[in-house]
Amino acid sequence: MLTLALKKEWVDAKRQGQLTWLLGIAALLLLVACLSSWQSHSRYVADQQAVSQSERARWLNQGDKGPHSAAHYGTYVMKPTSSLALLDAGLQDYQGNVIRLEAHVRNNALFRPIQDTLSVARFGQLSPAFVLQVLLPLFVILVGYGLVATEREQGTLKQLLAMGISPARLFFTKTFMLFTITSVLLIPVALCILVFNTLELRTGLFFGVYLIYVFIWCLLTTAISSLANTARKALIILLSLWAFTSLLLPKLAISYATAVHPVISGQAFQSRIESDVYTQEREQAIAKFKQQTLAHYKVSTTAELPFNWGGAQLQFGEQYADKKFDLLFSERNSQLKSQSNSYQQLGILSPFIALQTLSMGLAATDFTHHLHFSAAAEKQRRLIQETLNFNQRDNANKTTGHYKAGIELWQRIPKFNYQHPTFSSLYQQYIPSFLNLFVWLVGLTLLCAFTLKKLKLEEQR
Amino acid sequence: MTIQSDVVITINKLKKQFGDYQALNGLSFTVNKGEILALLGPNGAGKTTTINCLLGFLKPDSGDINIAGIDPQQDVITARQKIAYIPEQVALYPRLTGIDNLIYFSKMAKIEKTEHEFKALLQFVGLPEHAFYKQVSSYSKGMRQKVGIAIALAKNAQALILDEPTSGLDPSASHEFSHLLKKLASQGVAILMATHDLFRAQEDAHRVAIINQGQLVDTLGFEKIKQVQLESVYLEHIRGAVTC
Repeated sequence: MLTLALKKEWVDAKRQGQLTWLLGIAALLLLVACLSSWQSHSRYVADQQAVSQSERARWLNQGDKGPHSAAHYGTYVMKPTSSLALLDAGLQDYQGNVIRLEAHVRNNALFRPIQDTLSVARFGQLSPAFVLQVLLPLFVILVGYGLVATEREQGTLKQLLAMGISPARLFFTKTFMLFTITSVLLIPVALCILVFNTLELRTGLFFGVYLIYVFIWCLLTTAISSLANTARKALIILLSLWAFTSLLLPKLAISYATAVHPVISGQAFQSRIESDVYTQEREQAIAKFKQQTLAHYKVSTTAELPFNWGGAQLQFGEQYADKKFDLLFSERNSQLKSQSNSYQQLGILSPFIALQTLSMGLAATDFTHHLHFSAAAEKQRRLIQETLNFNQRDNANKTTGHYKAGIELWQRIPKFNYQHPTFSSLYQQYIPSFLNLFVWLVGLTLLCAFTLKKLKLEEQR
Repeated sequence: MTIQSDVVITINKLKKQFGDYQALNGLSFTVNKGEILALLGPNGAGKTTTINCLLGFLKPDSGDINIAGIDPQQDVITARQKIAYIPEQVALYPRLTGIDNLIYFSKMAKIEKTEHEFKALLQFVGLPEHAFYKQVSSYSKGMRQKVGIAIALAKNAQALILDEPTSGLDPSASHEFSHLLKKLASQGVAILMATHDLFRAQEDAHRVAIINQGQLVDTLGFEKIKQVQLESVYLEHIRGAVTC
């Protein structure tokens, strides 16, 4: 039945020329988007590997010096990308991907790839995610708006129903036929998953949510085509729905989320770090720690301590600042997460928002994954500081502080080897979006039931 | 002329109202196996509404319909499977060939036949063989009607419902069509033909039912059809709006 319908639609459309043109244009757009994405993805992967290797070499070959000098010498870590980022780079180009790890400061991520492009180029970006999330529904609409409405206009719908074909059989044959034709554009997704990934939960779900998204648009298109009196009316309704859910609503959702959960600017946040961390209170806490240490060792000067006071003081200062960093960063991150959650919740009105959230999450290119990387980088920074400070404490001259460490110490700092978290450890963040897609499917099932009732009494419409 | 008495289509006290307009007002008639019943009436008399009720596309306000033992209001799919419908303009896919249309409609209705059998059907209805593989957009109305009948035949339907089948056909095509209908009736198919074509009705029908304002106003048997001037009887009923 499906093959028969496919064959008929293919022959019909081929003779009309419409479908082949549409398929050709969509495939071309996707090809260009994939090639462009492949180019930037390869560059990113190469950069990341180069940065990782050169930074490790720079760290190890920094020469003999005091551990605290090494702490200020610092190192850079770059966020590795996932192979699914090839299809959905998400926020990767807009977030900093490199973090400088150094003493006393928890740095924000730097170097946004978008800064490396011409400003005009930002308006013409064509990514596979854009094609799949925004243009694919448009392709579904253009292929399917007339599936039932045109049959109604040319009288073949009545003829088919009069043959005793059940409306449900007709409706679902048309829907699955549309799904089969339009799913062809998901082949690059399947290929990318098969070539670059092992079949795991993340990749399986990534492909799955795109299939569900296409199916949602196929169901909606066939239902509207069945309910509209004319193909032209069906097209207008579907284009309006597409523009609302894929273009307008996401913009409104962003405005709503930022209005409801305002976040201070990056510059203001940076100045708040400086004013909140390096305060008189910190100096007092260090002085108190000094008194407690002297009392503990029952000595009156730091020179009498059995270790280098400078190293101990540096580590105390780091730990004091770390608590402040945790507080400030967690406040800012929770504000950003609230924004992201508000945006995600509006996916109930737009399958685009639900898919976009899940797609970025599964491709590990969203804010949640950025936070995970940022936390891992900070953990590494703290490990470096602790190792260097304790080394200074234990080895530096107790009065002069003179001490030079060498490659043995630098080698004790493990290479930063960041791994993306498993999706199962983060799935709770994405439950609203999964639920939103489910709600869309349930809503469309109800719409289909209504449509079938209308199709049954075709002349009573 | 022998007509078998088995009733295939029964319409009993059918009523249907659209807003203030009473389209059907207690209409009743039957069509027997192997019989051609011509349903005559002016525009708006209720012919197409009756057909839509029979096909289950409209739900009557009251009254009963029975098609070969099936009530379309209860089981519309089975009822539709027992009848074949040919509208005034046979709706086909213009960019498909005649045989492709026949195969598509038939297979969608789960009718399994070989290509040879489908060709035989087109030959039976008199479609020229050179037209089998031509796009329907190049067909004349008569050729489209033939494909429509072939689709109906593929179903092995017990009843054939025709809505203005000869409208727009040239005399030769109309004659061919009439010949085909008689051939089908002789094979036991019950045929209900809603028409304005009084000549065809008089020539082909075994019975004529005249309806006006949603009511049956007269029924003429085979003998009477042949004896009277059908046009006079028809005009008399329509102008007088006499109710049986």
